[in-house]
Amino acid sequence: MKELTISSDAPGERIFVLGNEAIARGAIEAGVQVAAAYPGTPSSEILENLAKVAKEVDMYVEWSTNEKVAFECALGASICGVRAMASMKHVGLNVAHDPLMTASHIRAKGGFVVVVADDPWAWSSQNEQDSRYVALQGNIPVLEPSSLQEAKDMTADAFKLSEEFGQMFMVRSVTRIGHGRSDIVLGKISRERRKGSFKKDPSLLVYVPRTARINKPLMLERLEKIRKAVNTMPYNKLQMADKATLGIIASGLSYGYTMEALKWLGLEDKVSILKIGTPNPLPEELITKLLKSVKEILVVEELDPFVELHVKAIAGDYNIAVKVHGKDVVSRIGELSTRGVTEAIAKLTKSKLPIDFAALDKLEQEAAPLLPLRPPALCPGCPHRGSFRAINVAAQRLAKEYGEDVEPIYPSDIGCYTLGLNPPLRAVDTTICMGGSFGLANGMARVVDAPIIAHLGDSTFFHAGIPPLINAVYNKANITMVVLDNSATAMTGFQPHPGTGYTATGDETVALKAEDIARACGVKFVEVVDPFNLKAATETVEKAMRFQGPSVLVFRAPCAMIELRDKKKAGEKVVPYHVDPDKCNPKCDACIKLLGCPAIIKQGDKAVIDALLCTGCSLCAQVCPYNAIVQE
Amino acid sequence: MVREFNILITGVGGQGVILMSELLGKAAIDDGLTVRGSEILGMAVRGGSVTSIVRVGEDVYGPLIPAGKCDIIIGMEPSEALRNAGFLSKSSLVILNTVPIIPFTVSLGQSSYPSLEQVLEKLNSITSKIIKLDAAQIAREAGSLLAANVVMLGALFGTELLPLKIATIKEAIEARFPAKVAPVNIKAFDLGYQVCQQAAK
Repeated sequence: MKELTISSDAPGERIFVLGNEAIARGAIEAGVQVAAAYPGTPSSEILENLAKVAKEVDMYVEWSTNEKVAFECALGASICGVRAMASMKHVGLNVAHDPLMTASHIRAKGGFVVVVADDPWAWSSQNEQDSRYVALQGNIPVLEPSSLQEAKDMTADAFKLSEEFGQMFMVRSVTRIGHGRSDIVLGKISRERRKGSFKKDPSLLVYVPRTARINKPLMLERLEKIRKAVNTMPYNKLQMADKATLGIIASGLSYGYTMEALKWLGLEDKVSILKIGTPNPLPEELITKLLKSVKEILVVEELDPFVELHVKAIAGDYNIAVKVHGKDVVSRIGELSTRGVTEAIAKLTKSKLPIDFAALDKLEQEAAPLLPLRPPALCPGCPHRGSFRAINVAAQRLAKEYGEDVEPIYPSDIGCYTLGLNPPLRAVDTTICMGGSFGLANGMARVVDAPIIAHLGDSTFFHAGIPPLINAVYNKANITMVVLDNSATAMTGFQPHPGTGYTATGDETVALKAEDIARACGVKFVEVVDPFNLKAATETVEKAMRFQGPSVLVFRAPCAMIELRDKKKAGEKVVPYHVDPDKCNPKCDACIKLLGCPAIIKQGDKAVIDALLCTGCSLCAQVCPYNAIVQE
Repeated sequence: MVREFNILITGVGGQGVILMSELLGKAAIDDGLTVRGSEILGMAVRGGSVTSIVRVGEDVYGPLIPAGKCDIIIGMEPSEALRNAGFLSKSSLVILNTVPIIPFTVSLGQSSYPSLEQVLEKLNSITSKIIKLDAAQIAREAGSLLAANVVMLGALFGTELLPLKIATIKEAIEARFPAKVAPVNIKAFDLGYQVCQQAAK
């Protein structure tokens, strides 16, 4: 039997998938013709999986240079009448915010859906913002799945709803949806393929002031229709319990935690529950029905009090005397859990907790001091390690010329290299947003008397690094800007980008070079550097930093994971380094303390290299003052 | 009918934790069960802590195991098993690979690594049901050091606590690995199974 996949035409069959595969399947079922995205955890696998089957299912799939472009690409296709999707992580939605705020004014022709993956607890992000507020501000209806099955179903449905109401829709995922795993039942795949056509319609598409004034009331009319329709959508479900005094409103994933908590407490028949699948707009009729039937309400939702504030407003509008709880008993920080919801319900119902949570906390507190720190680290053989070592040596040398206590400033960015934050490299001083390293450096250069060397990755450079680079040239900022080019969007899983020479679907294309772009932008000092040649790299960094005016360095070497993969393919052997114990000085530790490579540990009083982890990059041999590290 | 069965797999990036949960999930579905679970990808690159969750049964809604409700923890690494002790109760079972992976933060002097006795003592204060094995040694015996994760899967089935059929997981293993290495992995599974059975006696 052929293994079922997300492109299988097998309605009714069950498959085991990652949540992002479920969302991709939803897009395939809806007959989406254009899908665009920029990678970002926890959303990347949506487009990755679509790219794998793009040709088979006749879909155009691209990695765009950033989320704004991805959004615009999908919007352009939708304007021409085909179904189109943009997917991104929550902070990517900020990048797309500009077109988003106007896009919702456009009466959608081809179904237009933006899938946004929020990241409660910021597992892989710089913050934990709640995209439902962006949707509220942008007048975008939201579907929020409680399970992977719903993630698939809602994604497919969102395109139909978008066309039915003529409005763009948002599907809000979270980490535990996108990176959840579950069985889902497949639906039917739409094979309809439309020929895109553009109809000139300035009063809908050319947003001069008059157009906004024409379309805003029309948009509000469409939203009003959706506000009524959500009351009967299957994603919202009211289960009334007899003589219940407490009602729970649970949005998205929180519904699962709530159901398990009620069962744990033995209260499943004593509490009325409203499951919310459309947080914006909310099903007002179902909410008022519930509010009128109980004395107290608990709103269970992850992150900010979005549903809670609306429920309080609805209670006020309808003059319903009911106490509404939410963030007073449920955490606003991080992910929810069955435990957290259980404790909240127990508090409100004065129920006994099912187990002794305090004893578990005590145990964890006692275990904590025993546990070693195990942060994610730059991989053995990572070129960034060499880049940071060279930057550290050159920048610290230069800083001394500014004053004995002056430290160089390292504005950094979003990517694997953010891990350079950790000791011993300590080469990351700021991380705010994509492209923010070069941007911040522009301002710092005006006010501090210290050398500034900012860095970002190759994919980040194409995403948002070019405008601040041009700014530095235009406004003559005396900073050094480094592109750490490892030929991949490595942190999110090696997606291709404009510098790699191939597209999302594996087609060959031009490979843009950061150094060419920097020169074209008018940078007068541009050099390409090998991060694995520490001596030469350090000298070049120093030259760049001494250059008056903006300078650009491109550290170029492929990601260690790619290098290993390519070597394996070519049948080449990795030759690891080892430490000659007779030459290793127990008091030195230079290899460990300067590089922080996970392949080097101390055994007894000597350094030892794990031959299974070592990639043969040679950096440790270059920093060893005793020539004790040699290749086998 | 299975109501709720919770498995947490924990280890270090590169040990094949995610693969284990994929195999278990696939097998559970082939056995007609519903599965929910989740993992943290992304920052869990090589060397970081990794956990993956597999939950089966009709009463399971959420992707996370509630505190104190884990039926089995598979610890691919001792300190990582201890890190997740808050999921255990006195009826839980721990299957522990006793081979430590000492992070570079210990070499840098930023943290220390507990002795196996310390790990076992803490785990023992919650549950006495702990099966210890040297998965690396058994994997080597099977023919590949890389198969330590499949050894642990074998041990998991050796407990006979799982609501899954052995034939189904073996099919999932055979389907997942290239024909060249599938037999090594099946052998690793069988050896893990046997070690666990002997330990239970």
